[in-house]
Amino acid sequence: MTVLDILLSGQLLFAALVTGSLYALIALGLNLVYGTMRMLNVAHGDVVMLGAYGAYWGFTLLDIPPLLAAPVVAGLGGLLGWALYRGIFQRMLSGGSGAGNNRLESNSLLLFFGLSIILQNATALVFTPNNRAYNYLDTVYHFGGVAMTGNRLAALLVAGTACIAVAVFLSRSVFGLATRAVIERREAAHIVGVDVDYVQRLSFILGFGSAALAGVLISMLGQFSPFSGFPFTIAGFIVIILGGLGNTMAGLLAALLLGVIETYGVALTSANMRSVLLYGAFVAALLLFPNGLFAGRAKSR
Amino acid sequence: MKDLFPNRWWTLLWACCLLALAVLPFVANAYVVGIGLTVLMWIALTQSWCVLSKMTGYVSLGHVVFYGIGAYLVVVTWQEVPLPLAIVGAGLLAALVAALVGLPVLRVRGPYFVILTFGLAELVKYTITWIESASGMASRILFGAPDLPVIYFSMFALALLSVAMLTWVSSSRFGHGLRSLRENEEAAETLGVPVVRYKLIAFVLGAAIPGMVGAIMALRSTYFVVGQVFDPMISVTVIAMAILGGGDNARGPLLGVIFLSLLSELLWVNAPLLYLVILGAILMVFVLVVPNGLLGLFERKPVPVVERPPTDSAA
Repeated sequence: MTVLDILLSGQLLFAALVTGSLYALIALGLNLVYGTMRMLNVAHGDVVMLGAYGAYWGFTLLDIPPLLAAPVVAGLGGLLGWALYRGIFQRMLSGGSGAGNNRLESNSLLLFFGLSIILQNATALVFTPNNRAYNYLDTVYHFGGVAMTGNRLAALLVAGTACIAVAVFLSRSVFGLATRAVIERREAAHIVGVDVDYVQRLSFILGFGSAALAGVLISMLGQFSPFSGFPFTIAGFIVIILGGLGNTMAGLLAALLLGVIETYGVALTSANMRSVLLYGAFVAALLLFPNGLFAGRAKSR
Repeated sequence: MKDLFPNRWWTLLWACCLLALAVLPFVANAYVVGIGLTVLMWIALTQSWCVLSKMTGYVSLGHVVFYGIGAYLVVVTWQEVPLPLAIVGAGLLAALVAALVGLPVLRVRGPYFVILTFGLAELVKYTITWIESASGMASRILFGAPDLPVIYFSMFALALLSVAMLTWVSSSRFGHGLRSLRENEEAAETLGVPVVRYKLIAFVLGAAIPGMVGAIMALRSTYFVVGQVFDPMISVTVIAMAILGGGDNARGPLLGVIFLSLLSELLWVNAPLLYLVILGAILMVFVLVVPNGLLGLFERKPVPVVERPPTDSAA
């Protein structure tokens, strides 16, 4: 295949679309927690990994189809988010220093990092560090010369639907309005009567739940291990750096862009380049936007 | 010096540690000397990390990158360049890398700096992995590395150097400048602290020592795997040690090293997963409950202030 063949193949476009939609879903949850609390959840990808394990055990031990298990696993993810919020972060956020303080942000990052290490290694202790995979919906369909497996189609549909559902919820519901108010100006939202604590709690639940859902979808597509969560965190960060805060459409586009960069980059070089590409894009994005995400809004903090 | 030796008990503690580490290679077997070497390595890494990260609050999760670069230089130039030159070169190369990436990287603030340093270290790791596999090198073995005592005392010198450096920085005008930018960078800049230059100098100073440490540890393991010398868990252990110890002088991090070295020695090789779970838990507990570290616990009760000339306490 020549380079042009590679670039024009519908197969790659489809692969990029699937990857992009999963990244969009992952970034959505990350964005919600970051937006409302200014905390970078580096353990987000590990929740994705836990979701993958949930689907895997449900399928291999109990014969539950992953697509049916998905709501349950997402609910469990949300429960984990709720527990962590009540146990650790609620107290931190209501402390005197308030969100938006650099020291608090660095500290919360170290907390999440500790959590990430615990989740990865505890999972490896309990379930062994081996790679896992299972076969599900692997019938191949052909659409206009592009071969698509059922599981990839399902992942694309579910991730796309979930993204749109969350986006509509955030733009139409009262909770969505409150969330956007907290994202814009936390203090002002509090003054006009928004229940900031409630918004934060629900953001945690929604964020963790959507991560677990993404994990279920990812488990259907290929191998995963206790340590495969972190790259998803990085991918999510790239998307929210490029896409913007609370801007769902731009986030979606950024996720698709990252999916394209990764899929085409790997196709043009080698599979070994995936991590280099991912971390390269991450470093480049952060260096281009050194004030972190959305420098324009930083003044309001 | 008062930072390191606030009273005679601390002086006694450090004197005992110093003496024990200095005579260790003459009295103990190779296994115990190996443990001593690991302790010295953690001292050098943690103290050098503190120069930027404890003093300015710019928490770097990428300290291992300098260690890895140093190790890689020694491995690549093995038997082509005299060893002492390669080790010094490793320190210089690490410092040079820090100087080159320092300006753009240090513009990034708070949590973004933390996660950026992690990403940068991983990027270097994967790039070198890719280069090595492209050139057909899965791993390398070093033949004819120096004996353990030589390695041990080189590391001993580096550990002393790192403690001396942090002690100097912590009490110098430069160090006070760094502390001021930790408290409020804008205010410090307004008051005339050259924040950009200070941050960069601290970053470069803190990079040279891990470069040389990595070079020496490559001689110790003699077997080189990219993923091992760029293991992000080295950075995490350094942070855990510094946070566990607490304080922004040389004393706290030394305490952290003493407490965690034992744990890492016992568990890292035999039960790495369990070790990392414990490390993560320590990180969370200390950030959340004991943000001032062990030093803060020991010195929590305010000593009654008695008005008298300061010469009395300079034991």
